[in-house]
Amino acid sequence: MAAVAVSVEGLRKHYGSLEAVAGVSFEVDRSEVFALLGPNGAGKTTTIEILEGFRTRDAGRVQVLGFDPAERRRDFRERLGIVLQELAVEPMLSVREVLERNAGYYPAPRGVDEVIELVGLGEKADARVKTLSGGQQRRLDVGLGIVGNPELVFLDEPTTGFDPSARRGAWDLVRALSGGGTTVILTTHYMDEAEALADRVAVIARGRIVAIGPPRSLGGRDVGEATIRFHLPEGAPRPELRVAARDGTGGVFEIATDDEVGVLHELTGWSLERHVPLQGLTVERLTLEDVYLRLVGDTAHGAPGAGDVGPPS
Amino acid sequence: MTVAAADRRGSVRDAYLVGRQVRYEQLAFWRNPFGAIFTVGFSVVFLLLLAAGGGNSRVAYLGNIRLIQYYVPGFAAYGVMSACFNMLGIQLVIRRETGLLKRLRLSPLPTWALLSGIFVNAAIISATQVVVLFVIGRFAFDVHLPHNYAALVLALVVGVLCFTALGVAISTVIPNQEAAGPIISIVYFVLLFLSGLWFPLNPGSSLAQISAYFPVRHLILAVFAPFQLQRGESPWAWHDLLVMAIWGVAACVVAFRRFRWEPRRN
Repeated sequence: MAAVAVSVEGLRKHYGSLEAVAGVSFEVDRSEVFALLGPNGAGKTTTIEILEGFRTRDAGRVQVLGFDPAERRRDFRERLGIVLQELAVEPMLSVREVLERNAGYYPAPRGVDEVIELVGLGEKADARVKTLSGGQQRRLDVGLGIVGNPELVFLDEPTTGFDPSARRGAWDLVRALSGGGTTVILTTHYMDEAEALADRVAVIARGRIVAIGPPRSLGGRDVGEATIRFHLPEGAPRPELRVAARDGTGGVFEIATDDEVGVLHELTGWSLERHVPLQGLTVERLTLEDVYLRLVGDTAHGAPGAGDVGPPS
Repeated sequence: MTVAAADRRGSVRDAYLVGRQVRYEQLAFWRNPFGAIFTVGFSVVFLLLLAAGGGNSRVAYLGNIRLIQYYVPGFAAYGVMSACFNMLGIQLVIRRETGLLKRLRLSPLPTWALLSGIFVNAAIISATQVVVLFVIGRFAFDVHLPHNYAALVLALVVGVLCFTALGVAISTVIPNQEAAGPIISIVYFVLLFLSGLWFPLNPGSSLAQISAYFPVRHLILAVFAPFQLQRGESPWAWHDLLVMAIWGVAACVVAFRRFRWEPRRN
C-alpha cells in the first residue's frame, strides 16, 4: 500500500471571477491527521470537496487513495468517510436505522452497535433523529462518517457546537481512528483542536497555502520570538539590560526577544545581585493562534465576513 | 470468479440496495404524520366530503353518470399527483436545503439507486391511494370499477412518470425550504381547480380549453377513461397520454439541466 494517501499539486478552482483555490499543493501520508486552517472563504471547504469528488477542479493534479476523485468511482467512495458541516440526517428515522441503512452502502462496514458506542449515543440508539440535541445529531453525523470503516475520513469542523466533554470524546475518536491506520483530514477554527490532534497543519488564506508543518513548529514558532514577563515589588529599580523591557498592563514588564536564554541569564543575574525578586516570571512562545493570526492577517485582511465560498447558484 | 458472475452478483446487490432504500423511504414517510395525512388522507377526505355533498347527482355531459363515478377516478389521479408532484417536490427541496442530498451524493450509494428509492416510494404511495379510493368507492358508494385494467395501469404509469418528472423539475426552481410548501401547493391547487377535479368541466367550456394546456386535466381524463360507461368511448385516452408525455419530457429537460445536490443558500 502506498505511503501517501492524498497528493495535491497546483490545484485551482474558480467560481466566476473569484479564484477560490489558487494553486494549492500538499501531501498527506497514510494514518496521518492533517488539519486545514484558514478563515471562512479561504478555500478550505472547496479544497476538501474536490478531494471528496463532490466538485470538479479547474486545474492541477489530485490523487486520493490512488484514485482521481473527479471520476467519482463507487469503489473510491466506498473507502471514504465524510462528515459535513451541515447536520444532514433524516429526522423520522432512529439513530440505529440511519446507521444500518448507511452501513449497507459499504462492502465491509463497522458494526452498527460499535459505531453507536464509539460516538457515545448508546442511550439514544432507538430515539428518532429529530429528538436528538444539536450535539447528538452532530455525533450521529460523525458516526455516519465512520460506519463504512473508511481508509480516509474527512471531518469538516467536526466539533463546532460541542460542549467541552463531547469535544474531548471526538478528539479521542480521531486519535483512535488514526491509531487504527485511518487517515484523517479535518478543518477547524479551534487552534487547540489542531494542536491536540494534527500531525501537520496547513494554513490556507485566499486560496493559497501560506504555511504548512507540524503545529509545534508552524511559522517558526519553536525558534522565533519569545516573550519574557515579570513584575517587580513596589519601589524596586528598573533592571538595566541590553534589551529594553516594555511596560505591559498592570505593572508587568515584557521583553520580546529571539535570545531568551541570554536575556534570562542577564535578568536573573541582575535580580540576584540586587536582591530584587522577579515576581510571576514566565517565558512564552507564540501560541499557534498568534502564528495563525499573523499568517492569515498578512494575506487575508480585506475579506471580512466573507462566507464560505460556494459556487454561485 | 468470472467477470459475468461478478456483474451478476453486483446487480443482485444493486437491486437489494434499491429495495432497502425504498424500505427506509417508506418508514420515514409513514412515520411523518403530516406527510401521511396531507398526502394520503386528503384524497380520502375530499372524496368523502364531495360524495356526501352530491355524489348521487347526475352529470349530463358525462353520459348522465353519477358524480361519484367521476370523483373516484378523479381523486385517484389527485392521489398520484399529490405523491409524485406535491410531496416529492417539497421533499426534494427540503432534502437539498438541509444537506441530505449532498450527504447521500458523497456516500457510495449510486445516484440511480438513491433516485430510484425516492421515485419508487412516490409510486407506492400513489398506488396505495388508488387502491384505497377504489375500495371506498366500490363498497361505500357502489361505484363501478374500471372495465379495462390495462388502460388504467397505463394511465397511472404515465401519470406517475410525468408528475415525478414535474416534481423534480419544480424542486429545482424553488430557492429554499420555506417557499417549497406554499409555491408547490398553490401551483398544484390552482391547476386542480382549473382542471375540474371538484366540478367536472363541460368539454366545450373555456376553462376546459385553458386546462387542456396543462397535464393535470389529462391525467384525470386518462384515469377516468377506463371507467367509461358510454358506448363507443375508448378506454385508451391516447391524446391525454400524449400531452402528459410531452410535459414529462419537458420536465426531464429542466430537471437534468437544473438539478443541484447542494443547498442553494449561501
